Amino acid sequence: MNRRGLVGALAAAAALAVVPKKTRAETKRKLRPPGALPRGTFEQACIGCFRCAEVCPTKVIRFPSGLSLDVATPYLDFDDRACVLCMKCTHVCPTDALVPLAADADVVAREVRLGVPKLERSACLPWTGRGICRLCYQVCPYPDRAVEVVGPQKAPLFHPEACVGCGLCEEACPETARAIVIEPLP
Amino acid sequence: MKRVLQPFDITLRHGRRYQRMRRLFLGFSVLLSVGLPLWHLRALEVEGAGLAADSRWSAVARIFPTTPPPFLGAPTSVWVWLFDLVDPLESLATALFMGVSWNLVWTVLPGVLLVAFLGRFFCGWACPYLPVLAAANAARWLLSRLGLPTADVKLPRVTSRVVLVGVLLVGSVLGVQLVPLVYPPAVIGREAFRAVFYGSLGAGGLLVVGAFLFDTFVSRAGFCRSLCPGGAMFSVLGSASPLRVVNERSKCTDCTVCDVICNLGQSPMNNRLDSGCERCGRCIASCPTRALSWKRVSPLKVEGKQ
Repeated sequence: MNRRGLVGALAAAAALAVVPKKTRAETKRKLRPPGALPRGTFEQACIGCFRCAEVCPTKVIRFPSGLSLDVATPYLDFDDRACVLCMKCTHVCPTDALVPLAADADVVAREVRLGVPKLERSACLPWTGRGICRLCYQVCPYPDRAVEVVGPQKAPLFHPEACVGCGLCEEACPETARAIVIEPLP
Repeated sequence: MKRVLQPFDITLRHGRRYQRMRRLFLGFSVLLSVGLPLWHLRALEVEGAGLAADSRWSAVARIFPTTPPPFLGAPTSVWVWLFDLVDPLESLATALFMGVSWNLVWTVLPGVLLVAFLGRFFCGWACPYLPVLAAANAARWLLSRLGLPTADVKLPRVTSRVVLVGVLLVGSVLGVQLVPLVYPPAVIGREAFRAVFYGSLGAGGLLVVGAFLFDTFVSRAGFCRSLCPGGAMFSVLGSASPLRVVNERSKCTDCTVCDVICNLGQSPMNNRLDSGCERCGRCIASCPTRALSWKRVSPLKVEGKQ
């Protein structure tokens, strides 16, 4: 192998090392930040400047790391934390791919649909008679509207049409249950 | 055989202060890419952890409790205090999809005006790809010292315009923003942000490595010259720029130093400069007889001098 080939091979190896494997979150779902334009339009308006991610207090706004066309568009990663609905990200977008929204409970309830909650009842503590948990109900910004508790064990019942999809319930759900997942809009 | 004059053989004889200014400017630009995400990360941690009031970082959170921090975003779309600046190329790509809005006009106007007066100055003064280009040029020098051949393919001048139109067209057909994927300032800014915030690099690193290899083995500064859509955009916008390097022929000794040191294949020695000139001013600083200088030229004469 000559020097030139060697340099090329080294560079190729370095390039491979730079690109990490796809993480679980990326393959799982693509939720867009609050105020995002509809799917299709959002990808055209976003220029990937990552200001939204820089102001996100819970750092749930991420960028995919794999080789794909949407590598420069932000998505929400609810694996560790959730959106606290501060609406800061909507105010820093230079191209209005995220439409500015007031951090007002009524405005947020009307305008924001990040995803829909999916409850796996077979994993939920109250639904399986393992305890009166109510954690999701307690953290929900819209209790009794997005989620209510029913029956003697206070089992949660979600109303996706009133849910903004912030993921706080997913974050609060105990490690032993992990019964709630915010899924992308259909 | 007489050894051909190489860029690294040339010392910048004078204009050191000027070159220092350029490096400072460039350093500031790179700092924007890497330092600001660090700062934001720290500010978020303070906000999240609710650190004690005597923490020096809490000042950040106190000054900016709800408003955005003074600097935000990629080098191509930076928020500086009240100014929201977006790169002309990214604005054009957005306008193709979303139409022209007042917001778009206000964000792009300062950049367009600057480029109209100063030409491709961003490429020579602020682009975060410049350190990579410097590394590629150093690698070329090393190869030539080792006696290895280095190719310097000169792609036709029209290539950059073709790439510019192509990127916008393909993006429109695919219905996605392609510019942030192939435009080095956007890519490097995003990768720096990712590295600081999440401790990992993404696929954008591939583009930078590819551009480095291209500049090293195929064509000197070939990416900036022929493949960068942003450079092409600046060339178009700045083609009537009144600021130019002018050679005072009576002082010139035809030593070719300025032509050799130019990364972008311009010929200041013969006063043959086109809109590809990035106004880096290295030719001026390298001239042994100080024949070159900045001149304001009537915009109407500019393109005629080919």
